[in-house]
Amino acid sequence: MPLSIHAFITGLQAFTKIIGMTCRWFSLAMVVVTCLVVILRYIFDYSSIPMQETVMYLHASLFMLGAAYTWQQQGHVRVDILYHKWPRAIQERVDLLGTLFLLLPTCLFLLYISWDYVAMAWTYREKSHEAGGLPFVYLLKTLIVILPILLLLQATSNVLASIFNISLSPSENDNNTQDGGYS
Amino acid sequence: MEWMPLVLFVLVCLVLMLGFPVAFSLAGTSLLVAGFGYLAGSFDGAFLSALPNRIFGILSNQILIAVPLFVFMGLMLEKSRIAERLLHNMALLFGPLRGGLGISVVVVGMLMAASTGIIGATVVTMGLISLPAMLKNGYSPSLATGNICATGTLGQIIPPSTALIILGDVLSSAYQQAQLSMGIFSPDTVSVADLFVGALIPGLLLVVFYMTYIALTAWLKPQAAPAIAKRPPLDRQFVLSLLSGLLPPLALILAVLGSILSGIATPTEAAAVGAAGASILALFYGQLSLGRLQEVMDGTLKVTSMIFMIFIGAAIFSLVFRGFGGDEQVQALFEAMPGGKVGAMLVVMLVIFLLGFILDFIEITFVVVPIVAPILLAMGIDPVWLGIMIAINLQTSFLTPPFGFALFYLRGVAPKELPTSTIYRGVIPFIAIQVGMLVLLSFVPELATWLPDKLYG
Repeated sequence: MPLSIHAFITGLQAFTKIIGMTCRWFSLAMVVVTCLVVILRYIFDYSSIPMQETVMYLHASLFMLGAAYTWQQQGHVRVDILYHKWPRAIQERVDLLGTLFLLLPTCLFLLYISWDYVAMAWTYREKSHEAGGLPFVYLLKTLIVILPILLLLQATSNVLASIFNISLSPSENDNNTQDGGYS
Repeated sequence: MEWMPLVLFVLVCLVLMLGFPVAFSLAGTSLLVAGFGYLAGSFDGAFLSALPNRIFGILSNQILIAVPLFVFMGLMLEKSRIAERLLHNMALLFGPLRGGLGISVVVVGMLMAASTGIIGATVVTMGLISLPAMLKNGYSPSLATGNICATGTLGQIIPPSTALIILGDVLSSAYQQAQLSMGIFSPDTVSVADLFVGALIPGLLLVVFYMTYIALTAWLKPQAAPAIAKRPPLDRQFVLSLLSGLLPPLALILAVLGSILSGIATPTEAAAVGAAGASILALFYGQLSLGRLQEVMDGTLKVTSMIFMIFIGAAIFSLVFRGFGGDEQVQALFEAMPGGKVGAMLVVMLVIFLLGFILDFIEITFVVVPIVAPILLAMGIDPVWLGIMIAINLQTSFLTPPFGFALFYLRGVAPKELPTSTIYRGVIPFIAIQVGMLVLLSFVPELATWLPDKLYG
């Protein structure tokens, strides 16, 4: 196998991982900022719209930027009645075909259908409709095109790894029971 | 092409069975079917141009911001091992009674359900701690396993539960849609707090029924649920250790729930304060390290992404389903149903029960409820009652062999020698309790609707 392909694949995997490990801090930030909002409101009787909107931005970024990482870490639930009984080779086949025929079209379609919508928000730098709200609605809308881009990068790496038969680091397989089992 | 919505639905179910992540399967299959319909001239592409705005609606949804905060709180409580201490102490306290170990599992399970709301975590924790203790002390394996599985599913119904928040959000838009379609332009609303309050009495009744069943079994068949011979001395040290395990999490749950139900705080605010409180508790018990915090944040990110990707996938599915005229067909089907409202409700409950075998709460809430709820609500069904019926129904299907989720989790941690058929036999009485509760709720809807009416008018 060409060495450069190997570096490319692991590089992409590492990129997704770094994004995820950065974005997970947003969850703690949401807890802290919302608590501040509560304290300010009930003790100082002060309502801060920018702070409330910050929580919304953190929340949206948490799952839009974290989705590819979640996929890498096997955190998206599957209907695994059959899947978990199949041998590894068939599971890999399902993942490869699913990526090519389900995920890929979805991402491309999302990019196609959202591009103008997001571009429009950028042309007039769309602001919050609340008085005193954050002037970054266009950035919030940009998440709609970043999501498919991040997923496409992770998909590229997965598909290449599957074609060149490169096994990804073991951490990708070991923790799926715990998080997949959230209901 | 009037069978296209049905084709879409069946295809989605088949693709889901392959095991590719649910969110991407929903979106991908729907888009492929839409593309086929578009080429064949039976699908109007304009329906999908609403998609970016729908996704933006998900990004800016205020109610669902509570989800990651509650998940954070639940994971923090779970990882800080407070539940394990609680279970240990309760078992010591109730153990000397016949059936006492079983009842302590229900009590702790109820508290874990209220605090973490994570079915998998509750079943696994109980399976690892209580099951060996129960088996060692001569409990009938089927009673022990049934008890643990059933108690684990309480997380779905006992507030504050993530499942009820999601259901509340979906039902509130369905309720508005239903009233607009009836020509009511200043619609009533239904909130997450309404559902929380509505779930209280049915949830607690289930707990009482579970306990009654265990007590009855212990009384009729003493050998199935024997008392533990050893009684710890009820001295100061034991009482203190019991209270230190019991009171802080209990206070936290009551504060979070109380502030939501009394209207002091929104669910989002209460969840954030609860998450901070859980972190302080963990710190207090010496269980909070940087590594533990990172685990909690990591879990929160994954669970939140998982939920919201399904939401986006389901939004794509519902646009395509609507584009093929699916919602009008479902409506026509319901109106042609013999028995009107009752018939329609029965069919919906049956379909949700069956889907509960392969899909979990989140998927059913985002995919099925938006299709059926507006129609049922327009027929005059109470939204809170509908929500609680759906929640208990799904809880039941998680318990039902062979595909119930709770059974899988317990199977994963139960001793290998314990046959799966024992677990199946064990849950049957609890399934009967669940079905009994659904029947009771059908005849006495006030069990769900009385308290919200009383509190919020």
